[in-house]
Amino acid sequence: MHNAQCKVDGGDHLSNRGWSEATPPETLEGYLKQDAERFPDKLAVICGDERVTYAELWSRVQRRAEVLRGCYAPHKIIAIRTSQTIDFLVEYFALHLMGAVAMPLERDIPQQRFDEIGHRYDDFVAPPEVADVLFTTGTTGKSKGVMVSYDTIIADAENLIAAMGFAHDQHFVITGPLNHIGSLSKIYPVIVTGATLNILEGMKDLEAFFRAIHDAPGKVATFMVPASIRMVLQLGKRQFAELADKLEFIETGAAPMAHSDMLEVCRILPNTRMYNTYASTETGIIATYNFNDGETLVGCLGRPMKNSTFFITDEGTVACQGRTLMAGYADDPEMTAQVLRDHTLYTADLARIDEQGRLRLMGRNDDVINIGGYKVAPTEVEDAAMAFDGVKDCICICEVSPVLGNRLKLLVALDEGAALDKRALARHIASRLETYKVPQLYEAVPAIARTFNGKLNRKHYR
Amino acid sequence: MKEKIKSLLEDALPLVDLDSDFLFAELDSLGVTTILMILSGEFGITLEAADATPRNLKNLDSIVAMVQQKLEITNKRN
Repeated sequence: MHNAQCKVDGGDHLSNRGWSEATPPETLEGYLKQDAERFPDKLAVICGDERVTYAELWSRVQRRAEVLRGCYAPHKIIAIRTSQTIDFLVEYFALHLMGAVAMPLERDIPQQRFDEIGHRYDDFVAPPEVADVLFTTGTTGKSKGVMVSYDTIIADAENLIAAMGFAHDQHFVITGPLNHIGSLSKIYPVIVTGATLNILEGMKDLEAFFRAIHDAPGKVATFMVPASIRMVLQLGKRQFAELADKLEFIETGAAPMAHSDMLEVCRILPNTRMYNTYASTETGIIATYNFNDGETLVGCLGRPMKNSTFFITDEGTVACQGRTLMAGYADDPEMTAQVLRDHTLYTADLARIDEQGRLRLMGRNDDVINIGGYKVAPTEVEDAAMAFDGVKDCICICEVSPVLGNRLKLLVALDEGAALDKRALARHIASRLETYKVPQLYEAVPAIARTFNGKLNRKHYR
Repeated sequence: MKEKIKSLLEDALPLVDLDSDFLFAELDSLGVTTILMILSGEFGITLEAADATPRNLKNLDSIVAMVQQKLEITNKRN
């Protein structure tokens, strides 16, 4: 039987670490072990006032894995509540090390939902190559668990290192939730290169974000969704510009970015590489484009990275191949077959490839709404809202605000005599779904438009 | 002013308990941005990153005090 502990091995070959050896590790935990052996006193993670070296981090992971071995069988999928803490990283690595599968869920997910997802795979044993199950709406428009293999994690790390220049002497600042592929995937290259991770509690304390960049001894890189970049441009442009010499690169992605924001961030950070990346939980990290290139092309996602390829289907959608693809949806071969066939992942993203081989995104071929990098299936929101007293019919749509970006709006047709209590409705939805799926805006309407066969007429509201 | 600010913010952030004394802890990045952008637009004041502190956003009263202070600064300039 597979035992993940056996996969922790020696060796390294990536030039960004400054040395080369014959046999690279096969797992992230293998790299972590090596980091601890090669530079035990190097700072691995900063999180608020807490700092751990690679030796301390590896020691904590080993100790925690020993405890977890007595709790879980290998290859079982274990739900964990994500937090922006070193404890979370320890738990994540330790689950891998003892052979279980980590399923990080959103920090403030309602307990009922956490239990429902956590028990969904009670009778399912993951294939031995699977390291993570990441919950997403993504390509199919329904919530499901995406199985990510140990090899995919390493392939994603190699893609990021080669394409963007993650390096041993870098500090990488993470502000996004660690259950989301956008932030979680940045842990991979940091550990593989033996760099330093600085975990922040979101972007709401912008002064803390600026301080993390300013106080780092050397160069800094970070990942920011477009909504966060807009927030910084609106509330802290001067401080951001003062850090121009410290910021080696910023990666963005997960949602479209306004051209005006792209131009402005390039203006204030003229020497910072600005990567717009094509990635999803299902595809892994596929392609990227440095838009601080003088052209600043909207919707350009660049060329495929070293472990990936893509092509455009006859329907005009993106299909991806390579080592970064998911292993499938957990315990759902039918849904897996809808998107993953013949080692090819078929997305709902509409795109073309330009004359220079770069991916140019043009939209989506489904109803999924992108909220700050999170994909939301409107049917999930509508199903939750329909269970609220007085709601006769409803539709969840996307409203674009020039200041705040995409926001969910729920149009509600009420039973006769009922009044719209939007705070109560919002709390009802929040008791069933993750916070990012709760609409900010609510409007009572006489009726919801439907098609001739009774389906919600989504095109009517676009 | 307090009731006006409460009404504005309740409308924009239906999940947030504006009567809380731990408001900053309850807010996410979008919530903080929403509050600053709505208040700056409504009252014609300049709010930026340095204003988004746990102290300024501790509760509704501290938000009202921040707006009043900014209004005084704006009025002096004018």
